[in-house]
Amino acid sequence: MKICQIERPLVSTNRIAEMEHKLLQVVRDGSSLAVAVDPVGCKPGDWVICVGSSAAREAAGSKGYPSDLTVVGIIDHWPPASQSEQDA
Amino acid sequence: MLIQRVEDTLVCTTRHEGLGHMHLRIVRDAKGSLSVAVDPVGAHKGNWVFTVSGSAARYAAQNFEILTDLTICGIIDHWDEAEGPGKN
Repeated sequence: MKICQIERPLVSTNRIAEMEHKLLQVVRDGSSLAVAVDPVGCKPGDWVICVGSSAAREAAGSKGYPSDLTVVGIIDHWPPASQSEQDA
Repeated sequence: MLIQRVEDTLVCTTRHEGLGHMHLRIVRDAKGSLSVAVDPVGAHKGNWVFTVSGSAARYAAQNFEILTDLTICGIIDHWDEAEGPGKN
């Protein structure tokens, strides 16, 4: 699983029906951007844990949900006080 | 899921029946590398879309028999090239 930061919600009106009405968030993983399904309900700036591969589908709702990255938790304290830069 | 830009439509008459009759699009990701995605949404050249990869792509193609590992899930309403946490 990866540690990412929530940038902002992703709005996509014209999308496939399989995605239903799940909230999508733009997340920053290190230097690259990605899109994750957010069943947890985060706000921009939150540090979260994202899961990939088949677990992402299950976490997003059902076995057949088309997601390869899903938020599964909001981290309480990140980056830890000791580390200066967060090389997650 | 990744945020990519649709470069062009790909015409491929002689194809494996696992691809069915799905439209194919050439998409370019943030790092600039090209790939081919199945398009159930109907994106046009120049659209910013988000794609799903891996086995979830076959679910996103609305028919698990479609042999794809990259599928366009939706067209993003507002996205600016700068990739920054732009307004939305």
